[in-house]
Amino acid sequence: MKRERPQSFNKVPMKERLTIPRQVMPEQDATVRSGNFLEVNLGLTPEQAVVEAQRCIECKNPTCMDGCPVNIKIPDFIQLICNEDFIGAARKIKEDNSLPAICGRVCPQESQCEEVCVMGRRFEPVAIGRLERFVADYAMQHDDGSEEIIEKPTSTGQKVAIVGSGPAGLAVASDLIKEGHEVTVFEALHEFGGVLVYGIPEFRLPKVILRKEVATLEAMGVKFVKNFIVGRTMTIQELMADEGYDAVFLGLGAGLPRFMNIPGENLNGVYSANEFLTRSNLMRGYEFPEWDTPLYRAKHAIIVGGGNTAMDAVRTAKRLGADEASIVYRRSEEEMPARNEEIHHAKEEGVKFMNLVNPIEFISDDQGSVVAAKCLRMELGEPDESGRRRPMPMEGSEFVMDVDMVVIAVGNGSNPLISQTTPEIETNKWGNIVADEDGRTSMDGVFAGGDIVSGGATVILAMGAGRKSAIAINEYLKAKVRS
Amino acid sequence: MSLKDQINSMDMDVIVEMCINQEQQAIDLYTLARDQAKDESSRQKFQELVDMETVHKVSLSNFEIENYIELPPADLKVTDYLIEPELKGNMTTQEIIILAAKREDKTARMYQDLADHFHFDKKLNTFFQMMADEELRHKHDLETEYENEFLQEG
Repeated sequence: MKRERPQSFNKVPMKERLTIPRQVMPEQDATVRSGNFLEVNLGLTPEQAVVEAQRCIECKNPTCMDGCPVNIKIPDFIQLICNEDFIGAARKIKEDNSLPAICGRVCPQESQCEEVCVMGRRFEPVAIGRLERFVADYAMQHDDGSEEIIEKPTSTGQKVAIVGSGPAGLAVASDLIKEGHEVTVFEALHEFGGVLVYGIPEFRLPKVILRKEVATLEAMGVKFVKNFIVGRTMTIQELMADEGYDAVFLGLGAGLPRFMNIPGENLNGVYSANEFLTRSNLMRGYEFPEWDTPLYRAKHAIIVGGGNTAMDAVRTAKRLGADEASIVYRRSEEEMPARNEEIHHAKEEGVKFMNLVNPIEFISDDQGSVVAAKCLRMELGEPDESGRRRPMPMEGSEFVMDVDMVVIAVGNGSNPLISQTTPEIETNKWGNIVADEDGRTSMDGVFAGGDIVSGGATVILAMGAGRKSAIAINEYLKAKVRS
Repeated sequence: MSLKDQINSMDMDVIVEMCINQEQQAIDLYTLARDQAKDESSRQKFQELVDMETVHKVSLSNFEIENYIELPPADLKVTDYLIEPELKGNMTTQEIIILAAKREDKTARMYQDLADHFHFDKKLNTFFQMMADEELRHKHDLETEYENEFLQEG
């Protein structure tokens, strides 16, 4: 079926569109922001958003939607921005993505929708992520969300428990509440949002945005229960048999930090990225002593890793007052999995990059605190299975450097609590839950999606998995009524 | 009498049998660990190790030196600097891979030493070189798996 697109009244001739430069995101000055936790990117102005939207060449066969894991109707919402219908554009996105203000900030658009933007073949791609963020922020300020909240469907009387309030869980909650089910989200921590709240710093994703998204879901009827550890407070079997939940969705994420298993990782001053970022983001360690979680002010903090978590940690260390904050990465910058924007921002803020270096031991003083890191220099060999050139240790290249804080950011695994307490649910050798593409697990009525199934991935991929599971849960519940 | 002196006085069949026994000991160890593992993910990884060693044992029973083509795999050295974990019931998959890679490394070094020692005996030299390469291949595969899963660098 042919899709009807909104007609644009702010039409710009095609040739002119190609000459419009990609709009620059206004941001806090690097020297100022490296001393505060306020958001770095300030967001496009309405005028910039319209100009950026006018860069879209309205392809007959747009590829941008294929690059989005939840297939947002990108050309449509961009046309609505051209028409200056910003709230309409936000609602158009919300048809497919319940968390646009979050995805507009943290999605790796350069490797998703923007990577396949036709404009990007010859020029810079349309800044789809920045436009998404703009309309989502605009709607938060100007739209009371009443349209979503008022349209309450008839209750089915069926209950769904969602375990985990991260992106997968929130996506499932949003879709299932619209179907009339009674939806309860159980969160182990004292704030909702999962990795969005404990993992991503305020300067990249202000907590107020997340709270507003949660508040909208609450207003739609979703119940939120915090400090509730499924597997400890209550098992899945108890939720279903004793509390009457007809279906359960497991969106626990990958919250178990991985260490390198080198000597000295248990010294004082050596953190997992999870602990370090949780202390700062969730426990507001950056506001110590007003908040009571302390964090070191390091002379030299090193962060081991090259992904977005490593960038978040190193920029947090810098903001906490470290004299020097360095990334220590065993490959070269070319192989870094972090977003280019994050690497660029980190460099602007004075972060030092020690590439092709790998720690092999952390050394302590007589108090058990880390004082130095023994490292090896690496060189790149042949490409490995990921296509990245493989780092190999250089013989005799050992050196020792002074450090008083280390953050290990080499990845996360899944928490074994569910697999230990619910043996009916099949897991693989990495401890991830085994689920089919619609999220069905080996236990009847239990579905799973996001990082707990796929291992560490992106927010939008977790949301995409959540949406697929929501469809499958809805079908499961309908079939249950029929039988 | 040292191992090298013992080997010097053995027939080839006996040497092969000795190596098959080595593989069987590894199979027995990993089987025991699999049965004692406290969670499913560890059980699965130990079973994979049992399967890997079983394939090697069977190939040893049928091996022919004439067919051996020397293709030594790269030593990635990913686990060389890591702490060697103890074999116990509640190991994580990460610990199991480190343990197994270190065992393969030690065995590869032992066979390489024997290959170098028997450089004057083509049959023995080739046999031990083949064994060393095979153990190094196991280490390579385990370290590749380790890199893919535990060094995502996120």
